[in-house]
Amino acid sequence: MDLNAWLDSTNLVVCVGSGGVGKTTTSAAIGLRGAVRGRKVMVLTIDPAKRLANSLGLKRFSGEGQQIDLSALPEAKGELWAMMLDSKSTFDNVIARVSPNEEVRDRILNNRLYRVMADTFAGSQEYMATEKLYDIVHSGEFDLVVLDTPPVKNALDFLESPGRIVDFLDERVFGWLLEPEDSRGLFGMRIISGAGGVVFKLLGLVMGAEFLNDFKEFLSDFKELYDGFRQRHDAVMALFNREDTQFVTVCAPTESSVDVASFFQDELGARELPRGGVVVNQIHRCEDASHDAEGALGAPAREMAGDLDEKTVKRLLARLGMAHRRLRELSEAEHAMVERVRRHARGGGFYQEVPRLDDEVNDLKSLNLVGENLFVENAEEL
Amino acid sequence: MSVRELLDGRLVMVTGKGGTGKTTYAAALAVVGAAQGQRTVFCEIDTQRPSAAAIFGEPPPFEPVAITDKLHVCNIHWDGALVAYLTRMLPLRRLVKAVLENQVVQRVLDAAPGTREVAFLSRIGQLVEQYDLVVVDMPASGHAFSMLDILRSALDLFQSGPVRKRAIELKELFGSEAARLAFVAIPEEMVVNETIETHDRMQKADMFGGNPTCFLNRATLPSLSDDERTLLKRLWENEAIDGIGREYVRAGLWEDRLEQATAESSERLEGVFGEPPVMVPPAAAGGVPRQAVAGVAVHLARQVGIARRDLPWI
Repeated sequence: MDLNAWLDSTNLVVCVGSGGVGKTTTSAAIGLRGAVRGRKVMVLTIDPAKRLANSLGLKRFSGEGQQIDLSALPEAKGELWAMMLDSKSTFDNVIARVSPNEEVRDRILNNRLYRVMADTFAGSQEYMATEKLYDIVHSGEFDLVVLDTPPVKNALDFLESPGRIVDFLDERVFGWLLEPEDSRGLFGMRIISGAGGVVFKLLGLVMGAEFLNDFKEFLSDFKELYDGFRQRHDAVMALFNREDTQFVTVCAPTESSVDVASFFQDELGARELPRGGVVVNQIHRCEDASHDAEGALGAPAREMAGDLDEKTVKRLLARLGMAHRRLRELSEAEHAMVERVRRHARGGGFYQEVPRLDDEVNDLKSLNLVGENLFVENAEEL
Repeated sequence: MSVRELLDGRLVMVTGKGGTGKTTYAAALAVVGAAQGQRTVFCEIDTQRPSAAAIFGEPPPFEPVAITDKLHVCNIHWDGALVAYLTRMLPLRRLVKAVLENQVVQRVLDAAPGTREVAFLSRIGQLVEQYDLVVVDMPASGHAFSMLDILRSALDLFQSGPVRKRAIELKELFGSEAARLAFVAIPEEMVVNETIETHDRMQKADMFGGNPTCFLNRATLPSLSDDERTLLKRLWENEAIDGIGREYVRAGLWEDRLEQATAESSERLEGVFGEPPVMVPPAAAGGVPRQAVAGVAVHLARQVGIARRDLPWI
């Protein structure tokens, strides 16, 4: 499978996977590749390593797109833009956007409960990512958008987050809670107001009447946002289901990351979302099994020792032999581990391993090198 | 604080970035606590796949079960925590039953901000009343912060009523000398960043009873001499060395980098925690979960003067 051709026909790439597997680097490398291939690209990222962010000129969580200077890479004919997401400021923006009027907006933003929820509401950061994504895709300014999703505990939380807010607001139970006197139901007044009454008493016992009133107030304001959330949710889901959207599962050869990757593949499959492929980062390669450092390096080491004595040479060679043995063990363990995700992901698009580079990926050149390792002509098809 | 001082507490909460081994360390600390003769319980919170199953051989229920005489394990899940919490707060069994049977009430309790966290922390507090030592495998760094921070916001959110009363009690317990925090890190830049960031946020929010302990997992200290490193560098820079020869050079460089990373991480963590982290070599924490816990437990037990043969369960 030719991955360059794959990228050329894709307009939105969503990178998913657990934290610490190089997802941000992979997203940036995919974006850069798009730019090298002449497209105008936006990478939405969460928390890039400082050195990478600095060398790309990304300095703050501005919530605005910034164009990356590609002059160090003359072969890049397109444009690369990046945006760092800041969850806190945008959640307030979302509220502002979906509020029917300023009064409701201000009441919610100043609500004590909201302030706590905005911080702890499960998935708020994920929610923000999908929000921004929607805005950018629909601005029509970019040929290719790459989304680096926040590391999440539970699989596709970020996909579900808009839905969860909708569900939360949609629950009939909140209707009962908010309108215990609503009598215009088919079942008549007594049942519903009766339920509301009991509910209120019990909740009052557990949480205190004052909190309950605060909560009720908050919910009735929040409920006015329902239509806004619902529409956005539907639009984002439609975006994820488009033919030119591709999900890429990123993992590293560690036990937990491989498990998460398999889980992601299952979830994507279950939701019939387009599985682009699996990228395994940070693979250690080690082929030789003899662990004979003396044989492999003895001559050049002595030649280059110069002022260093024979004892140093011997000790270093012995050390390299041991290090090589350990690296080989690691490489074999990694191989067994990635084999699991590979078997598991059958039918899930391409499979490509990207070896750990000798140097840290912290500038355009090394990022481009990652891209060269990733975008091969003959990637395995799962 | 040292491992000995850490285990002098009544409550030890272990956190860290995902993938650092915090569950392994929490379980190992519980094993060592039990070996010291403390009646100890190891708990996990609200996890779909309790690691205790892979470590101790069976999925732990909500009510602690005995692994050995002194060592118990449990899983604090939401359903159990809610029942325990309601039983504690409501005067009549009949009311507890009424709350539990009402779907609407359950949904609201589940969705209302803070209720879940207060129920979990309340259960931990209850276990502290029942055991000499409670070791909790807390959620990963940022989530652990949010969970503990609820005690602060609960006082703001709940102006009166039973939640407020319980939150005040719990805030006292979690902020007391008896409550201790331990962080588990590995020698990687991003992990150390997150550890320091969480430490600072917690310190600012006044969440520490005593000084927290930091464990540096997979630690390997620099072992090459300057001369050896010079020669390694020359070999690395010689482009004529390729193929298998280069593989050996790369292996050496890989280990040297890991060692340098340990030294750098240790120094940065010391700067924040005020003392060097407790270092544990990779060999101790390797293998399947049960082996890893045993390995770390043996290593930590040595620091409190307990020999391997005196560890229960191992």
